[in-house]
Amino acid sequence: MPRPLRIIKTAAILAWSAFVIAPFLWALTTSFKTANGVTAGPTYLPYVDYEPSLAAWKGLFGSGAGSIDIVQPFAASMIVTLSASAISLILGTLAAYGLSRFVYKAGPISNNDLTFFFVSQRIMPPVVLAIPFFLMLGFFGLLDTILGLVIVYIALLLPIAVWVMVDFFNNIPRELDETAMIDGCTPIETFWRVILPNSLPGLVVAGIFCIVFGWNDFFFAFTLTFTETQLLPVAIVSLNSSVTPWWSLSASALVSVAPLIVVAFLVERYLEKGSLAGADK
Amino acid sequence: MYGLSRYKFFFLLPGLLTLLAIILFPLIFTIRVSFSGWDAASPGLNFIGGGNYGRIFSDARFWESLVRLGFIATACVLLEYVIAFALALLVWHQVRLRRLTRVLFLIPMMTTPVVMAVIWRTIFHESLGPANDLMQLLGIGNIAWLTSAGWATVVVILVDVWQWTPFMFLLLMAGLLSLPREPFLAAAIDGAGPIRTFFDVTFPAMAPISAGAVIIRLIEASKIMETIYVVTSGGPGTATETSSYYIFIRGLRDFQIGYAAALSITYLVIMIVLLTIIAKLLARYLVKSGA
Amino acid sequence: MTYAIRNLTVTDGNTIHLHGLDVELPASGVVTVIGRTLSGKTTFLKVLAGLQAVRSGSLVRDGVDLLKIPAWKRRVGMVYQQFVNYPHLNVRDNIVFPLKRAGCTSSEIEAKLTYVSDLLGLRPYLDRRPAELSGGQQQRVALARALVKDTDFLLLDEPLVNLDYKLREQLRDEFRRIFHDSRDRLVVYATTEPAEAMILQGHVIILHEGKVIQTGDYRDVFHYPANTIAAQVFNDPPMNLLEGEIARGRLILGPSFETPLPAHFSTLAPDRYTFGLRATDLALGGDFSAVAALAEVNGSLTVLHLDLEGRNLVLEEEGVHLFQPGDRIGFTPDSARFYAFDATTGALIAAPPRRSVSGQKD
Repeated sequence: MPRPLRIIKTAAILAWSAFVIAPFLWALTTSFKTANGVTAGPTYLPYVDYEPSLAAWKGLFGSGAGSIDIVQPFAASMIVTLSASAISLILGTLAAYGLSRFVYKAGPISNNDLTFFFVSQRIMPPVVLAIPFFLMLGFFGLLDTILGLVIVYIALLLPIAVWVMVDFFNNIPRELDETAMIDGCTPIETFWRVILPNSLPGLVVAGIFCIVFGWNDFFFAFTLTFTETQLLPVAIVSLNSSVTPWWSLSASALVSVAPLIVVAFLVERYLEKGSLAGADK
Repeated sequence: MYGLSRYKFFFLLPGLLTLLAIILFPLIFTIRVSFSGWDAASPGLNFIGGGNYGRIFSDARFWESLVRLGFIATACVLLEYVIAFALALLVWHQVRLRRLTRVLFLIPMMTTPVVMAVIWRTIFHESLGPANDLMQLLGIGNIAWLTSAGWATVVVILVDVWQWTPFMFLLLMAGLLSLPREPFLAAAIDGAGPIRTFFDVTFPAMAPISAGAVIIRLIEASKIMETIYVVTSGGPGTATETSSYYIFIRGLRDFQIGYAAALSITYLVIMIVLLTIIAKLLARYLVKSGA
Repeated sequence: MTYAIRNLTVTDGNTIHLHGLDVELPASGVVTVIGRTLSGKTTFLKVLAGLQAVRSGSLVRDGVDLLKIPAWKRRVGMVYQQFVNYPHLNVRDNIVFPLKRAGCTSSEIEAKLTYVSDLLGLRPYLDRRPAELSGGQQQRVALARALVKDTDFLLLDEPLVNLDYKLREQLRDEFRRIFHDSRDRLVVYATTEPAEAMILQGHVIILHEGKVIQTGDYRDVFHYPANTIAAQVFNDPPMNLLEGEIARGRLILGPSFETPLPAHFSTLAPDRYTFGLRATDLALGGDFSAVAALAEVNGSLTVLHLDLEGRNLVLEEEGVHLFQPGDRIGFTPDSARFYAFDATTGALIAAPPRRSVSGQKD
């Protein structure tokens, strides 16, 4: 590649990388600041521009004045996200297999329409469902509970699982199912013994999407929980008033996104093994 | 094939029924509520016919929010598409570079949008944030990031681009990697330079994946709300107020539940129609459909 | 004991794949189903396997309609064109998979595994994954898996089509050995190539556009094709078909192409007919002449396409003979080998006296 193009290419990648990292770096230095590091104007380097302090970080895990309980919301987010993702993945994969392999017909409705129905649930903005969910959960006494949130999240994550897995299953040749059936497997055994073991890449992608979208939800957690159950994003945003010091804000934010960054590494390793869009035949 | 029927239902029904159960009732309920005058002053399900819908017709704020949403969503998706494609093209050939950048570029997408929005708000703080510091460094001077209509919109778009370009990047990269090599070899043999190769080989071959990625991103972008809630609160004024945000204000802040329900249904119908049209238009490029 | 197939119809929307087939299959032995692509062979096989829904019809043995039995309860083995094996299992697990599903004891499994892997030469590969094997080996694994269990049917759908020439020849011979080694099961082998039917030497069913054109022992079908379609399908290159007539005691195939009436046509009335002659029954050199259009050399055989006054004629000859398009070629038909078919229906009217099959092309 000719010199000038190489320079542009390197510059572009560096520029974008800088853009990507910038907010994290800012949050990181800010988390070590105290009032002096903030109120005079933006500061960047510890010891050079300001005096670093661990106050914010101590506050996260300790108790007492100025502390923020991050552990509880973290755990709550984990439980809700993992349960909803697991259930969505199971139900969604089953439905996706059905849509991929069998022909459904109910009047004018057929496979493609059903798949579209699943996927189109994503079009609904949370705001449309928030109020009815609020009233519905209230009716069943599920407001401000983990169970209530899990139920709502299943409705959000199931379409994702279906979308990813239908495409994936369509890429597995039908002859494999047929061979299994000839060898004595009922359709369920075929699915369980033959297709699923060959579906790992798709399941991983679907699972990761579910976990990420679930973990990162703010709106439903915001509308449907108050004090008993608090998810992480809500906990962090509730700090976002002019009262909360920037350093606590930054520290909490970093803690909340750290696990996802780890997941990002894991995802990348998996992506390199197979394609995102489907399996090799 | 004989004997399949009971299995068909076993696979599809659990998921389908669960989804229907959770989504259908709220939806029907919302429709019912939209015909009521439920608000803070008179809570409860009465019936006022199409009153709410009539009000929507003359609600300029709603229609403006739609236009704004269209603008913002389109800008976001276009920018994300172009940047992601450019980046993907730069790195897809070389494995080490590809892996490194893939991780790096992946991170924003995985982070919690609301949480990052909190950080962005501190960044764009007009006197205490690094953004204006950078502007001064570049000789541009202070920008009224969050207090001017135009710049607030820029901030919203910028944050969304930061967050979701990785999504496009991933999809496009996967697409590039799955392309057959032959056309590229043929183009090279024919002496085509990188630009010709792109327009004649790469871009057309990527059309189905591009179309799919754009549609998915459009659907998600149309729901943009959390960023606006945290960073601009729809402001200044209503400068960054999208439809979702407006519905949120009417419903959960002003507590005009009946009206908000009507707004929701109207919005939903408009979005489904629009997105279906766009999907059908792009469907010419979609080689593989769902099932 | 036989399988009686009655009125088997398979449709897909508005396309009819099988038109009310009526055919009988023996309970054991080898049946070759031969036909062009899209003639319905694969559909037919899939019906036997239980993988294809039927619009109507029955498959009855001993009073039991097998079509009512779901695929996983039938006793069937199937080998596909595109070597299908379980990617996530090694060769050993691939082969014993059906045995485990059927609940065989481990000693039974070991015994059958040993038998089949020796039969197909797979012993050295038992711990490998299919993806690590060559095409021929993968197909053998598929075959082993189909053979290892006791089945009523062993179905093969053009199993050699994706292999290279040498491998095909080698496996064809193995097939003959293996299939005659098989116990009470019916091998149904679908192919487009008559040569394979001849090697397998079984019962033949000719399918064309979803209908049965002819059935019978392979020698009978070869010597007495029921009509022009059978004659073309069951010969490679397809039998030459020429419109002509019998008049004045001579066989007239064209203005400059006539011969004395062959002996076996002596009882035919003077009329228009469609006459057939195999490519191998035309020899190079002689009094008749045509223009060369194309010469294909296959190994040590030459297939020459001739243009005879606007009609196509295919001639096959041993050895390598090179001609340029446009060359004038002399040829001689072996008039004792002519077939006569009805000019309108294509049905067989007269066939040459029978000669041993080995005198023909392989």
